[in-house]
Amino acid sequence: MSKKLRSKLVITPWIVWLGFLGILLLAGLAGGILVFWKGLVITNLTDLVPWGLWITIDLSSIALAAGAFSLCAGVYLFGLKRYQPIARTATFIGLIGYTMAMLALILDIGKPERFWKAVVYWNTHSLMWEVTMCVVLYLTVLLFETMPIIANFEWLRKRFPRIAALMGRVHHYAPFLAILGLGLSSLHQSSLGAVYGVIKARPFWFKPEMSVLFMFSAIVGGISLTLFASMLASRLTSKAKVNDALIERAAHFVGYLLIGYFYFRAWDVLSMTYTYDPGRSEGLGLITKGPLAFNFWIGEMLLGMIVPMILLLYKPARMNRFWRMTALLLVAAGVVAFRWDTNLTGLLVVMPYISGQAIAYTSYRPSWIEIVTGAAIIAFGLTGFSLGVKYLRVVDHSLVEGEHAKVQVEAVEPVVV
Amino acid sequence: MSDKRSNPVDKRSNPADKRSSPMEKNINRREFLKLAAVGVAVAAGTRAVTSTKASSDAPKGKHQWAMVIDQSKCTGCDYCTLACQAHNDISPDMRWNKVIDDGMVGDMQVFVPRPCMHCEKAPCVEVCPVKASYYRDDGIVMMDYERCIGCRYCQVACPYDARSFNWEKFTGENPAVPEWGTPEVERRPRGVPEKCSFCYQTIDRGLSLGLTPGVDSDATPACVNVCPTGARLFGDLNDPESIVSKLLHENPSYRLRENLGTGPRVYYLPAIPEKKEA
Repeated sequence: MSKKLRSKLVITPWIVWLGFLGILLLAGLAGGILVFWKGLVITNLTDLVPWGLWITIDLSSIALAAGAFSLCAGVYLFGLKRYQPIARTATFIGLIGYTMAMLALILDIGKPERFWKAVVYWNTHSLMWEVTMCVVLYLTVLLFETMPIIANFEWLRKRFPRIAALMGRVHHYAPFLAILGLGLSSLHQSSLGAVYGVIKARPFWFKPEMSVLFMFSAIVGGISLTLFASMLASRLTSKAKVNDALIERAAHFVGYLLIGYFYFRAWDVLSMTYTYDPGRSEGLGLITKGPLAFNFWIGEMLLGMIVPMILLLYKPARMNRFWRMTALLLVAAGVVAFRWDTNLTGLLVVMPYISGQAIAYTSYRPSWIEIVTGAAIIAFGLTGFSLGVKYLRVVDHSLVEGEHAKVQVEAVEPVVV
Repeated sequence: MSDKRSNPVDKRSNPADKRSSPMEKNINRREFLKLAAVGVAVAAGTRAVTSTKASSDAPKGKHQWAMVIDQSKCTGCDYCTLACQAHNDISPDMRWNKVIDDGMVGDMQVFVPRPCMHCEKAPCVEVCPVKASYYRDDGIVMMDYERCIGCRYCQVACPYDARSFNWEKFTGENPAVPEWGTPEVERRPRGVPEKCSFCYQTIDRGLSLGLTPGVDSDATPACVNVCPTGARLFGDLNDPESIVSKLLHENPSYRLRENLGTGPRVYYLPAIPEKKEA
């Protein structure tokens, strides 16, 4: 009896991992309850910096979930069918990413219980409204897109075979869902940039390329995270099986995308802000030589773009799994740094509204409650992905799904007279 | 929570190179008069333009409320802020109205009192996802505190730092009451931003009693009533006989961050040292 129990209680790395995530989740849950109870006063957000760490997590989760729409569009609309197994992983990561974004927003808004009002009361002028609507609709699309994946759940298939079969059949509508996903994602990924880009009062943000950059960086970061997560899972568990040649080819493509991203971002920061414009030049100063300089030069440019660009375009490095994984992780982290820098550059420069007065600066450092709850949101994402790998075969390139949206025509038997 | 409200704008001091008006610091009387004449013409012209292309989105009602602040008369006593705190029952951590020191013009100390600008094209109204910020027919930019979800996009978008967020619930005594007035509106809940409303409650009640806002004190915003030097004036831009229409017709005026195109309904008459001595 005791022997049996001991064998059951054996501590595997899986248990340790889940235990670690569990602790983060519990701490975050406690922190979240504290936020709802005490209010946002316990954060380090102020009237001058009303958006901080949580908004960065929200923006980053959505950006890094963009692998879902980009890869689904590639597979189902542009005919790159061989990438279907990666698109499957991306879809699941997408669902997790958007759920993380929702969690961050619920913490961040002052009246979480009124969240639904954004769907009921429409201000079509507001980019925030547009983003909210798109995110809600896209989350619905993602739910449908992940149904065939959830149908893989062993327990569900045994207990409710009919429901599982029905969910599996949603796969036939994958191309239509991909079109919807592409439309909704293009809208809100770029609109998230425009949320900042339309703010005339803050000259560093007020520029049209914000939308383009948010969209572009999301595609680059989203695909990278999907590839990285697939590779990492395949190294850690036998439940995840990857076709390395497929990942290598996709990673090569990311390398080329990075050239475009590097060009856009360098142009955005260094050219668009070249002449003096009050507020804009001060914002430039913040990221080139101010408190955000390390983030920008090292986090975004060097480690987020240049290093991975070289690693992914130089064949020997790309063929080496360790360096490929490193490069892909760096890209994803660089996109997070971009979101953080963008949010803060506009807020830390305090524009005077009285002509002739000097521009002032403020500062922001997240409070421990923001960090603990933020870590829990990330732990939630990691838990979701880990469980998906173990129980839903989220990363399994050997899994072949049935052909989608093909009409089966029975051959007419030849009539022999 | 005073650190939440820290506003570096207030802390700045270097009066030597600042001026409150678009006019140069050292100008003699003759030059000034010339400038003023041009100013009147420009101001009149600007108003003509703004009124013809008056925002298509903001419906124009019978009245168009506006405030004129005469910087020659403002002494920076901050009574307006105190009256505002009391009448609108605002937490001591927050300000709907601020009086900002803007250095010297000649040997005169100049101040910029800053309420909400009630913009014709208000960024806060445009960006609000749920229409919790909205235009009234009379031009007042209002907040629906029951609808607001607390996303703070309006705060990020406001060019005038006119909004304060309720980071915590305001409980307890209001130190401005009863010395500076009694509360006329409900306290706002935790989790929404709040801002100046031109004391809409006073205007609406006054109008229903047949009074004229800007003329009868029972229909006029608290900050205007309390001003000991008469630096704040209120009235209807649609009425050519109102004090604000007359002042804006006869004097050069300017508005804050006019280049943004927000069309503030708060006008400033620049400080003129001679006028103060007179």
